[in-house]
Amino acid sequence: MSKAFELVILDPKQVHFERRDDTLSLTLDGDKHYSRVVLRSCFPVSEEQRYLSVLDATSDEQTELGILEDWQALDEDDREAVAQELGLYYLTPAIQRVDEITDELGFLYWTVETDKGTKEFVMRNNVIRHAREVSPGRWLLIDVNQARFEIPDIQALDRASQKLVSRHLYL
Amino acid sequence: MKENQDPPLQPILNAELPTSVVQTLDREGGKLHQVQIAAQSDLSPDGQFGEQWLLIDQQDLWVIDRHNGTAHTRHRFPLASIQEAHVERCVGNGLIQITADEQPHVLLHYSNELTDRFGRVAHYVQERADHGPDVPLPSPDADSHRCLACGRFLVDPSSKVCPNCIQRDKLLRRLMSLARPYWGKLGIILALLVAGVVVDLLPPYLTRILIDDVLRADANQNWLVWLVGGLLALQVIRVGLTILKNWLTINVSARFTSSIRDKLFAHLKSLPVDYFDKNQTGRLMTRINQDTGELQGLFSQMTNFALNIMLVLGIGVVLFTMSPALGLYVLIPTPFVLAAAFFYYRYMRPHFKRFWIARWRLNAMLNTFLSGVRVVKAFAQEDAEEGRYHDRNDRLLQTRLQVDLAWSKFFPLISFAFGAGGLIIWYAGGQAVLENRITLGTLMAFLSYLGMFYGPLSNLTQISQALNRFLTISQRVFEMLDEEPQKQAAKPVSKPHIGGRIEFDRVTFGYDPYYPVVRDLDFTIEPGEMIGLVGHSGAGKTTLVNLLCRFYDVTRGSIRIDGVDIRELEMDQVRQQIGMVLQTPFLFRGTLAENIAYGQPDASLYEIMRASKAANAHDFITRLPEGYDTIVGEGGTGLSGGERQRISIARAILHNPRILILDEATSSVDTQTERQIQEALDELVKGRTTIAIAHRLSTLYNADRILVLNHGKLEEQGAPQQLIDNKGTFYNLVQMQSQLARLDGAVAV
Repeated sequence: MSKAFELVILDPKQVHFERRDDTLSLTLDGDKHYSRVVLRSCFPVSEEQRYLSVLDATSDEQTELGILEDWQALDEDDREAVAQELGLYYLTPAIQRVDEITDELGFLYWTVETDKGTKEFVMRNNVIRHAREVSPGRWLLIDVNQARFEIPDIQALDRASQKLVSRHLYL
Repeated sequence: MKENQDPPLQPILNAELPTSVVQTLDREGGKLHQVQIAAQSDLSPDGQFGEQWLLIDQQDLWVIDRHNGTAHTRHRFPLASIQEAHVERCVGNGLIQITADEQPHVLLHYSNELTDRFGRVAHYVQERADHGPDVPLPSPDADSHRCLACGRFLVDPSSKVCPNCIQRDKLLRRLMSLARPYWGKLGIILALLVAGVVVDLLPPYLTRILIDDVLRADANQNWLVWLVGGLLALQVIRVGLTILKNWLTINVSARFTSSIRDKLFAHLKSLPVDYFDKNQTGRLMTRINQDTGELQGLFSQMTNFALNIMLVLGIGVVLFTMSPALGLYVLIPTPFVLAAAFFYYRYMRPHFKRFWIARWRLNAMLNTFLSGVRVVKAFAQEDAEEGRYHDRNDRLLQTRLQVDLAWSKFFPLISFAFGAGGLIIWYAGGQAVLENRITLGTLMAFLSYLGMFYGPLSNLTQISQALNRFLTISQRVFEMLDEEPQKQAAKPVSKPHIGGRIEFDRVTFGYDPYYPVVRDLDFTIEPGEMIGLVGHSGAGKTTLVNLLCRFYDVTRGSIRIDGVDIRELEMDQVRQQIGMVLQTPFLFRGTLAENIAYGQPDASLYEIMRASKAANAHDFITRLPEGYDTIVGEGGTGLSGGERQRISIARAILHNPRILILDEATSSVDTQTERQIQEALDELVKGRTTIAIAHRLSTLYNADRILVLNHGKLEEQGAPQQLIDNKGTFYNLVQMQSQLARLDGAVAV
């Protein structure tokens, strides 16, 4: 039982991912095959590139197979598969321009241009709970559906967007 | 891109399919007229916002990607090959996965907004895989987060229509009918308001007479004392009217909101448990306390608005009748005043809000520090905490300075706007006086009226916002009042004395119907049997108990007590015969005696003591200085975990239930206390149908039968010894615990 309490670090040389359509599978140590695995970043906000938890999605409780310390060290094909999978698992569109924010009865209606396309979302106008400055100038917004949006750097936005954001997030 | 932002409202059944998707389907041999489900996702395969369609016809499940007007098939599975389907939560999105021919396949991702839609699709596919093509199609209901009236984003998921669609007249009518008992008093308030306005308008009129007809060498100088006396009388009347009006307003609004609070609570207690799951305690507290409190404030504000409207109209009429030309001049500064009031709210409010947020953060930090001061000291983090405090304090200082700076800039400006209006009148009016068009008294009266005019006027700019707020809060209150109480059978079966036979008949249930927590549970418990319920945390043990008490209704299958489906039973009666001892015993504020007699308020003191004695609680209670009269609960005497537990056992013994549920009753106490509690429990379970959930398997040694749950499924059942001999899951659990117990120096089982 002691094994369950110890972190298993995976050797990037022994890890081979494969994406078939939308499903990520894994071959470990050359012979152990998992027909579907899930990847979770242990520090999705502060260390996206490191410490990836690899889980066996076919088991009932999604047991952790191990941790990839640095997935940049994987072979190119594997790295590509991981990047794609993470891009799907974590939907955190980065806001590049803010077209409109309206404040209506306790809710903020946003219309934004993100790296993933145009989007409208609604956020509770409770800045303390739903907007978080994760590092100086970088903001994480959580909308009413628990969807996430990121402003990677407020200073990098155009002036009009900056003005809207700081007015409504009370910066 | 436009159509992506706004996925169709009723996507489940035969939604409007884009031509390119239809063509793709056609080309690959699908039949449009056979399509039963068409659900649109708002994400494309690469994780961009886009468009994918999941279609299900008679034979196949399809996923078609549509990009820049062209479409192609990404997945196609024969429905016959699909064994399983479910949705999984990712971060900010979710995915739907199926298992076909033993292989897992992710079909597509969708953003969180569409969770409900694909949950229903997955549920349907699973049902179809289990029970064949005749299972009912999911209902094409509007997605839950959209307004029932207009389909716009429903921002407050706990309300049903958006603020725009609130039917204002209907709402006001309903409010008025709720306020019916106060109509008389409201009428008096209105009369007082009118009287107050008249009294307000009189003094400048009197001063005009004073200046024009009295304070002149040739005039009736003996009027002076009468006029001043009249002014004094008006002021006295004004004071009286204001006091009376305020007192009545507060009285009516407080009583009105208090009656609403009563109504809300009375309704709240009849709502099913899942209502309380969906609405966190905090939000409900807000509804009941804060919303009604705010309603009271808004109520007073509304009478203020009424007063101001009357004042503005009254003064306007007086000004124009006194001198139509000067009246027009009054209007010149009006836009500035209105603009100033508007900008005040637009620009000053954010400053204030920033300050409030900073103050909240500072307070929160201080609060955490004070309650965790031992931890801070134990980890020697005083300096780090001081740094944190300093940062927040600094932020508070900055925001305070900003507020003051903004205010110091703004206030002179708004004073100027008000003052400039006066200057225009001084100039135009002065000329009129010099040219003898009006008297000096008229001009002075005019200026007094003017001083009374702009204040109420600027106040009126807030009316629409306040009215909106008033309506929204009323709407929320009414929505809660309209919430359906738990369904009761039309003719419930009365069972004043249940035998205690419990049957679970293929029970499947999920708090969220798309994520079943228990599946196909099928077992029978005989009257008087003691059942041990075992399994990892999250296996569904507590859920099973919740279902038995009908805190929730099963998704599929049925639960029967004495052969009757619990949905048919008179639930209050049944619950009165179910006793519960929970892991964290809950004590209400009151005496120990009241707490023990909670389910049986008419129990005699003798019965209370007898129950406590049986629960092994009597001795420690009598040792307390105030014995059974000790106040416990919030703000009362602190009891240890074991003592509280024994109180709750005494409560259950007094309640004398036919079915007894022990949910981890001894998990939070030390071994010594556990033994005491165990003795009390052994007494309690005699002759009752008992379901005991326990992590510590040693407490289940005298169970008649053990049920082992694993991931919501019944894995094994049998007598404890039999299960140990079988060397299955239970055996493994016992092995694990006895290893741990050996470390403890104790022996398990």
